[in-house]
Amino acid sequence: MHGWHGRLLRVDLTNQKVSIESIAPKVLKDYIGGRGLAIRYLYDEVDPQVNPFAPENKLIFTTGPLTATTAPTGNRYMVVSKSPLTGALAHSNSGGDFPTWMKRTGFDMYIFEGKAASPVYVWVNEDQVEIRPAAHIWGKEVPETTALLLAETTPEAKVACIGPAGENLALMAGIMNDKDRAAARSGVGAVMGSKNLKGVVAMGKKNPAFYDDAGMRALSVELSKEVGADVKKGSNLRIYGTAYVPQVTNALGILPTRNFQTGVFEGADKIDGVALKNSYLITHKPCYRCPISCGRLTEVPGGKYAGKGEGPEYETIASLGTACGLDNLAGLLKANYRCNELGLDTISTGLTISAAMEMYEKGILTDEQTGMPLRFGDADAVIEMVNRIGYRQGFGDVLAEGSYRLGERYDHPEMSITARKQEFPGYDPRGSQGMGLLYATSNKGASHMEGDVAYEEVFGVPVKADPLSTVGKAELVARFQDAFALIDSGGVCVFFAIRYAFTKEMMVWPDRLSQLLNLTTGANYTPDEALQAAERVYTLERMFLLKAGSGPEQDTLSPRLLNEPLPEGPAKGRVVDLHKMLPEYYAFRNWPGGIPAPEKLASLGL
Amino acid sequence: MRVRVKLIANYMKLLPPGAQGNTIELDAQPGATIGDVLEPLGVPLGEATVLLLNGLQAEAYAPLSQGDMVTAFSAIAGG
Repeated sequence: MHGWHGRLLRVDLTNQKVSIESIAPKVLKDYIGGRGLAIRYLYDEVDPQVNPFAPENKLIFTTGPLTATTAPTGNRYMVVSKSPLTGALAHSNSGGDFPTWMKRTGFDMYIFEGKAASPVYVWVNEDQVEIRPAAHIWGKEVPETTALLLAETTPEAKVACIGPAGENLALMAGIMNDKDRAAARSGVGAVMGSKNLKGVVAMGKKNPAFYDDAGMRALSVELSKEVGADVKKGSNLRIYGTAYVPQVTNALGILPTRNFQTGVFEGADKIDGVALKNSYLITHKPCYRCPISCGRLTEVPGGKYAGKGEGPEYETIASLGTACGLDNLAGLLKANYRCNELGLDTISTGLTISAAMEMYEKGILTDEQTGMPLRFGDADAVIEMVNRIGYRQGFGDVLAEGSYRLGERYDHPEMSITARKQEFPGYDPRGSQGMGLLYATSNKGASHMEGDVAYEEVFGVPVKADPLSTVGKAELVARFQDAFALIDSGGVCVFFAIRYAFTKEMMVWPDRLSQLLNLTTGANYTPDEALQAAERVYTLERMFLLKAGSGPEQDTLSPRLLNEPLPEGPAKGRVVDLHKMLPEYYAFRNWPGGIPAPEKLASLGL
Repeated sequence: MRVRVKLIANYMKLLPPGAQGNTIELDAQPGATIGDVLEPLGVPLGEATVLLLNGLQAEAYAPLSQGDMVTAFSAIAGG
C-alpha cells in the first residue's frame, strides 16, 4: 500500500489491551484519511447519543496520507470524538512535530476506547505499544508532563498530553502536543481526561512509500519553491505570524471587542504582531518542515507576567485579548502561556471570561459570585480566571463549563457568543456575513477551521469577496467547508493548501491537492472525486450531528449577532442576515429542511 | 484634499517619513483615486493587495474624498 499504512492501533483502556487492525483500502480511498477516516469509524462505533464522558465514547487520533510526506505543511493530525462542549462532534486539528512522529509509528489512526481504572499514558514505539501507569504525572501541567514522558521513554519521541484542565473535565480543555501546539477545540482534552489518559508518546521510523516517488518529490519541490518565493518577498505570516491580523479586522470593524459588543478596538496596535515583534518575540518557530513558519516563540523576561512559550496566534489575541478588552501585551502573553500550560483552548476560554466580564459589568454577576472583580481590560483578572478554570477553583468551576452554560445559568443567554454551544473565533460575522453562515452550519460548532471564508471576505485569497454581502455566500461556504474537509483528511495545513494547492475555479478547486494525494497514494482522484470524498466526509459528520440531536434547529447563532446591530465602524448597523443565506445553503447542499436528501446520501454512497 | 493612508504589517515599510504608526495623512489631487495615492508609495495593486476605503472593500479606481481613509494589506491566508 502507498501513502497509507492501512493499519490502526486500538487501545482498550478498560481492559488494558492493544490490538492492531487493518483498514480496508476502499474506506481509505472513500474517506481519504485524517478527519474523514475518523468520522467513518466514529459514526460506526459510537452512539451519537452517548454521554461524551462515558467509557463508550471514543477518542480518535488520525493522520492523513500527506502527513509525514514531502508535501509542504504535511505535518497535521486530527483528534475526533463526541464533544462534551457542543454535545455533538469534535474534530480538532494540530500541527507541530507529533503528527509526523505518530504517522511514523506505522499507523494511520489510534483509537482510544473505554476508561482506565487509574491514570495511564500510552507509549507507541512502532508495534511495541505499552499502557503505562501515570498516577505520578497526573496533576502536572503540560510542560512538566511533556518533559517527564520524554524522560521515561526517549528524548527523540514526541508527546501529546493533557494538562490539569483536561483532567478536571473543563469543557474547553484541549490536547497539547510538542508542549505549545494544540488540538484545542470542543473539549477533546476533557474526553481524554475522562478516560484517565494523560498522554500519548510516539516514536518510529516507518513511512509508507509514495506511489510515484519522483513525481511526488518534484511537485513538493515546485510547491515549496512557490511558498518560499512568497516568503522571501515578505510574507506577513513569516514576519508577524497570524498576530498581524488584528489591524486587518479592526480596519473592517469586525475585531471582537468586549465580548462582541463592538468590532472596533482602540488598543489593537498595542497587542498585534508588530508590537509583538518589537517587544517579546524571540523567533519564528515552524511546524515540522513547514516553509511558512507562522509560529512565534516569545518570552516575557521578567515581572509578574514573566513566561516563555509559543503564541499568541490571532485567535488568542481576539479572545483572551480584545474580547476581554486587554491592551496589555505582556498580560495577554501570560494568559496565553497559562492556557497552554493548563491545556486550555484559548478561544473558548477567552470568550467565556469575556461573557463573565460583561455580566459582571452589567450587574448580573456580583463579587460574591465571581470571587473577584471581573472588569474588561484587567489582565490580572483574565489570568486569574484562566488559572481557576484549569483547576476548577472557585468561580472557575462555573466558567469551566463554557459561556453557553454560563449564560443559561444566569438567565442571560445573549451574553454567550456561541454556535452549537461553542465560542466564536475572531471575526464578528455581522461584518463578515459568510462567516456567520459558516459558524451557524459548522459541524463542530463555531469555528474558523471548518471552512474559513474569511480567506475571501477578509484576506482576498484566493479571490476577494465582499464581506458585507450575502450574495453567493451559501455556495461559497459549502464549497469551503468541503475544501477544508479535504485538507483535514489529507493531512496538510490550510494556510498552504487554500493558496497553493487549490485554484480559484469553482470557488476553490483542488487540482494540485488531488495531485499530491495521487502521487502519494496512487488513488487516482480527479479533483471532482476528491471533492466528492470531502462532501461524503462532511455529510457523514452532519448525519452524526442529526443523530446526536444537534440538527437544523441548532443551525443558528447567539441572539446578539442576529438582533443587535454593530454600533460603530464600517459594518455599523449590520446584523447577520442568516435568514437569507441558510435556505440557500440547504438548497445548494440538497439538504431539504437541513436534512440531507436520500438521493444526496445515495450519490455519496452513504 | 487630505486623505489618510493605513498600510498594514509588511506594507508598513512603504510608508513615507512622518507616519504615525501604520498611518499617514497625505495631500491628494481632487478627483484622485485610491490607486493614484498608493501607486507612488509602491503598494502593489491588483490581486496581491486588499484595499479598503473607509473600511469597505474597494477597487483601485475608486475616487477619494476629503478625509477618506484608505487601508491596504497584502492578500494572504490569515488567522
